[in-house]
This record gives sequence, structure tokens and C-alpha cells, in this order.
Amino acid sequence: MDLHDAYVLLNRSAGELSTRFQRVPGSQILLRYVKSSYQNDPVRSVVELCLFLFAVRYLLAPRYSTTQKGAVELTEEEIDELVEDWTPEPLVPGLTEVEQAENEKRPVIVGPTGPKVKLSNGRTVNNFASYNFFNFVSNELLKDRAVQTLRNYGAGACGPPNFYGTQDVHMDTERDIAKFLGMPACIIYAQAFSTISSVVPAFSKRGDIIVADKAVNFAIQKGLQISRSTIRWYEHNDMEDLERVLEQVKKDMARKPLTRRFIVTEGLFENIGDIVDLPAIIELKQRYKYRLILDESYSFGVLGRTGRGVTEHQNVDPQSVEMLVGSLAHGICSGGGFCAGSPEVVDHQRISSSAYVFSAALPAMLAVTTSETLKLLEGNPQVLTTLRENIRAFRTQMDRCEYVECTSALDNPVCIFILKRDGLEGRIFDNEEKVLMDIVDEALANGVMISRVKHIHETQGTKPFGWQCVPSFKACITIGHTKKEVEKAGSVTRQAVGKVMARLKK
Amino acid sequence: MENCDALPPRLSAGTARYIQYHTVKIIAGAWTIHVVLIIALKIFYDTMPGVSQETSWTLTNISYMAGSYLMFHWVQGIPFEFNAGAYDNLNMWEQIDNGDQYTPTKKFLLTVPIVLFLMSTHYTHYDLTYFIINCLAVLAVVIPKLPSSHRMRVGLFSVPEE
Repeated sequence: MDLHDAYVLLNRSAGELSTRFQRVPGSQILLRYVKSSYQNDPVRSVVELCLFLFAVRYLLAPRYSTTQKGAVELTEEEIDELVEDWTPEPLVPGLTEVEQAENEKRPVIVGPTGPKVKLSNGRTVNNFASYNFFNFVSNELLKDRAVQTLRNYGAGACGPPNFYGTQDVHMDTERDIAKFLGMPACIIYAQAFSTISSVVPAFSKRGDIIVADKAVNFAIQKGLQISRSTIRWYEHNDMEDLERVLEQVKKDMARKPLTRRFIVTEGLFENIGDIVDLPAIIELKQRYKYRLILDESYSFGVLGRTGRGVTEHQNVDPQSVEMLVGSLAHGICSGGGFCAGSPEVVDHQRISSSAYVFSAALPAMLAVTTSETLKLLEGNPQVLTTLRENIRAFRTQMDRCEYVECTSALDNPVCIFILKRDGLEGRIFDNEEKVLMDIVDEALANGVMISRVKHIHETQGTKPFGWQCVPSFKACITIGHTKKEVEKAGSVTRQAVGKVMARLKK
Repeated sequence: MENCDALPPRLSAGTARYIQYHTVKIIAGAWTIHVVLIIALKIFYDTMPGVSQETSWTLTNISYMAGSYLMFHWVQGIPFEFNAGAYDNLNMWEQIDNGDQYTPTKKFLLTVPIVLFLMSTHYTHYDLTYFIINCLAVLAVVIPKLPSSHRMRVGLFSVPEE
């Protein structure tokens, strides 16, 4: 009886449901559609039904973001607790033992800089720690011209080059540098460091490929980092490895869209002091269709018969270097930097190189000093010979030292010395930097100011994998010293090294 | 059209509001154009002599699916580059609504091919050959639209990029 009742109820409600359904507008069309679509083909109908149900499910699903994954919902208490627990890491890591000692012993120069400087403790020492290779710092003519320009133009340019910052002297200087180098055009920047770190990202963007030497200096590393390009490293100055990397890139990119490709390297390496093999790089870059960005910060004004840089030194046509970047703050003793290249390369930077667009133009007096300095260099090429004689004199003294070796190129006035691995004779020391610092202090005590090569902290740059700078110290040779003084400085440094090494336990 | 959704991540409030206002207008247009295009395609194939109703529906279906596959799932990047290549490896479907899933636009764009498919099978009178062709076409555009296909790259004869 119960069963019968339930059956009747079901029948009635089903009938009611169907009448109600028929009253809904459009239900006839749906029924007709379902009836006609069935067509004795259940498989196809199932497919259609599945698709329909999928569409309904898709339409009903809630929206979610694919970018903000794994965000955990926290209650107010939990947030408070986390905030309570959190102790901020120091923005700057604490000083290491070496850094602390360095801070205490750092020599302070009183008065103007030059070949001989007065320290705050009253002693006068020979300065072998400035990039004052041609002693332009003490040049009275340059000083006069700078003062004269200061009176006419004022101290700063007071605006970015594109907004009232460019003055006639800037354009003259650009022309002078381009003429000096034998390049079609040139652009000057207000700061040496930001020149290369702005030139690289001006040309190379995300997805482009940069092949760079593992030993490039910190400014270049910053540029590579900012450019967000894909960076491949090759072993320092190893042309076979460069070729291997280029071949690898060629293979990897064979079926992909064409991108811009650059080789980035230095003329004279800041960290090691050796010289680039430019003819080999030019050959490879032409074979593999790359552009070359060459940082001549340390070689401009220094290398070559007349100081035109590494291109002159290795007899390479400067125009085969696409972007020739240099510094006016090192050998030229002025300020700022430049990038020379074709008019297209230069004009591109005028509106898309951040350091040129967003910082005030080079002060007029520095621009004028640059032009005057180049004139001086062109007029007296014998200063280069004198410089090289001084370098040789210093290095002859240092060559007699059994504990250190010089990694710099012969013509490089920045002589970089590392401790000889085999010359250590089993001397055990835990901190090489500390030993080098003792050497520097010992030399200073004897009236010769040299300095350690200071490397930037590992985490701050885009360090290539597996590359480590060897701790080193450097002596910067200048023609402001006589040959005798340089020889004496060399022997003082040698004795300082010997003394420190003798102090170390066998 | 959907490029307006692939904007650089940080905007000022004013700019964001301005873009939102215009995006609503653009989205309305972007939705309508699908329906308009389908009707236009149908009329175009109907006017061609010697094409039966069945073939006309199937052709309309295939053309729309092919076109939308090309536009949404084949072409990568954006036409006017000012984001330093941030969207270079994303196709247009993945750029819509900053990659969010189940957004109104995506729901609409998924429903359109399914409805078009159901209509075309209906009007081809459930002929098995037409059904298979239409079904394969609709699967080709529905599968890449699934949330699980997001940023997925399949290479048939080559190694996929990502």
C-alpha cells in the first residue's frame, strides 16, 4: 500500500513538473531540439551533453588569479604574531675584520692630490694610488682653463642634456673625442661609472643575448644586470671558450626569432690588469654576427702610440667596434665618460640611455678640461714614453720579488700584483686580504702609498658562476715621479712584501 | 583588442581608473565582434554558389575555430612593445585579464565556440562526417583554453620553448 502511494505521488509530481516545464517559454524548442538531436546515436549525444555540461561548469566556476599563487590567508592575531616575531636583518652587513682594520688605518690626504701628498698625520708620501698617470692633476694650464670656464659658465650645467643642459663646450668635446679616436660620432656622459652601465641596457633588452667576459668590472656587471638580457659568460680572455659559447648560442637560437646580440668586454681589465685580444674578438664577432661593446675606461689615453686606446695598440680600425665606451675620469683626469660609435649608435643613446636622459650634463669645466687634455696628449706623445719607462722601472724592481707576480699588461700603468701560489712555500695564512693589507701598510710606513684592489661584495653584482677575483694590490704609476723615485718606490714595495712574508709563520 | 588587459603591472590610481573605464567599452566591442564575425562568415558561405547548408555551417565553424586558434593561441607577444619584452612568450589568451582564470571574458570566449559547434551539428542534421570534423575543430580551441593549459607549450616536431 505504501509502495502504491509513493508511486501515485511520484506520477503526480512528475506530471505536474512536465506541465510546469511546458509553460516555461522556449521549452518546446528545447524538447524539439533534444528529440531531433538524439537521432538514435547515443554516443554522439553523450559527447554533446558532455560538452554542454563542461560549458556550464566553466561558466559557474569562480574567478582566480594565476599570478598570486600560494597566498595564505592569515588572521589578525597571526599577522600580529608574525610581526612580533620578526627581527629585521641589518640593511648593511656588519664590518668584517679586514674592513674594520681598513677603516682605522685608511690614509687621509690633506690638501690637493698629486704625485706627492700630505697625509693627515703630517707625513708627506709618494702617491701610487691615484689614476693620475700623466700628472694632469698638477697641470697649471688645465687648472687655468678650468677656472676660466668656471667663471664663464658656472659650476654645473643645471639640467639634463636634452633639457637646456647641453652647452657649446659639450658639443665641442664630443667632436674632439670622436676626432681623437677616429670615430664618426661621440656622446658624453656626466659620470664614468654610469656610462657603461647605461650604454649596455640602452641597446640590449630582455630576450637579447650578451656574451661577456667573466672578469668584467662592477660597472659592466651592473649594466648587464639592468639590461635583463640573457647573459652567457666566457672564460677570461679565452678566445677558444668565446668561440665555444658563440657556437652554443648559435645552436640554441637556431630556430628561434632573431634577437640583438652583443659581446661585452674591457680593453684593460680593471680587476686583473691584462689586455683584451681585440683582433680575435673582432674576427669572431664578424663571423657570428655580433656587436661589440668595448669598455675602454682604463685603456683610453693610456694604450697605443698616441694614447688612442686599445684599438691603436693592437692596430684595429676603431670603427669596427660598434660601441666604444671610455672614461674621462681615469687617465684623462677630468670627469664623466663617453661612448663613441656610428651616428646611429650615438643618436639612439640621446633619447634612450638613462644616464644621459635622466642626469644633469657634465659640468662645462670638465668638458673643457677634457678637450684641453686631449690636445695636450696629441701635442706631447712623449709623455706616453715617459710613463712606460716609469712602469718598466717599477716592474723591474717588483720582478725581483719572489712572492708576488704582476698580472697587468706591460703598458698598463695600473700594476696589479697577486701573491704567487707557488712562492708561498707552505706559508699558512687564513686571510689573504689581511696579508695584502699589511703589505700596503708597510709600504705606506716607508713613504709609498699603494692600495689594495677592492672588490665589491659578492651579492651586489651579477657574478658569473664560478668566477672569483683573486685578492690583489695595485700600484698606479705616474709621470709625476722621476725615474729614481719610481725605482725607489718599487724597491720599498718589494721590501714591504718580503718583510710581511717573513713575518708569516712557515 | 585584448591587449589592453596586458598592461604593465604598476599604474597610478587615476590611470588605472581611466583604463578600466575604457576597457569596459573595449570589452563590449570585443565580445560583439565574435558574433558579428560568425554571422558574416555564415552569410559569406551561403552566398557562394553550390554550397549546401551542411557545408556552409561546417565551413563557418571551421573558419571561426581556425581564426580564433590563430589569434588566441598561436600568436605570441604584443604588437606594440613597451614592457621590455615581459609578454613576449605569452599568447593572447594567456594575456587576457592578466592571466586570471574563469573571468567573464574568458567564459564568454569559451561559450561561443561550443554554442557554434552545437548549432552547426544541429543544422548539419547530425551527419557523422560533419560531426567529426566540427567536433575536432571545437576541441582544438577548447583544450588550449582550459586553466590547466595555462602557459603550457606543446611541440610536435620541435622542443617547446619554455
